[in-house]
Amino acid sequence: MTLSNYLALSGALFAVGFFGVLTRRNIIGILMSIELMLNAANINFVAFNRFLYPDRYLGHLIVVFIITLAAAEVVVGLALVMAIYKNLKSVYVEDYNILKG
Amino acid sequence: MIEHIVFYMLAAVILLSALGVVLLPGVMHSALCLGLCLAGVAGVFASLGADFVFAAQILVYVGGIAVLILFVVLLAGSASDLVTRQINVQWLPSLMICATFIWSFLKITAYFSGIGAESAPAPTVRALAGAMLGDYAVAFELISVVLLASMTGAVLFGRRKTE
Repeated sequence: MTLSNYLALSGALFAVGFFGVLTRRNIIGILMSIELMLNAANINFVAFNRFLYPDRYLGHLIVVFIITLAAAEVVVGLALVMAIYKNLKSVYVEDYNILKG
Repeated sequence: MIEHIVFYMLAAVILLSALGVVLLPGVMHSALCLGLCLAGVAGVFASLGADFVFAAQILVYVGGIAVLILFVVLLAGSASDLVTRQINVQWLPSLMICATFIWSFLKITAYFSGIGAESAPAPTVRALAGAMLGDYAVAFELISVVLLASMTGAVLFGRRKTE
């Protein structure tokens, strides 16, 4: 396998996740699509590290940091979703206009 | 040869389950597809020789985030989600944007097509631990502060109003 195969896989995964972010109406679906995009970036980091710098591990380190930050992001995001759902009784983003004042 | 079979099977699992996450009408099905997709990405990490990242992906993503999203789907879902429209009206421009992105990205990746791996993968845990507690100790400590802040934020947003 060459580097371009992994990059193509990662690009396709990112595009699918981006399509989900643009088109899903459900806020939980949007959060899941964001996770797909983060995973595509992680594949890129590990693939570049494997094929271009096989004796150094900075790409792996960055991926561990990204996984941690993604966990933090999804925890806060889902807590916010639950807080909004308790008030609005809806998970569809068209109804989320309570910041409008 | 076996490397090609493994890669294409993993790619098929990842892309099909990612399409399931995006296109399936039920959020419960989407969350289950997300778990499958994250496990496939963990398989890609294993095939790239990233052993610690593979373990972290299984532990944090498949064991933590996918289960957390499943819990929220169970708490915030309703039976009418299966029959309401889940895709908004702007799907055609979004599809064109993503098709353009994929096309241009494949053009770029052709530039890297000649690069193969010249050495077998080696264990990475010792080098990662040395980097985390050596050169990148500040980033490591900052990540723990971020985790503490996110835990505090989750408790703050998730608590019941007491009045």
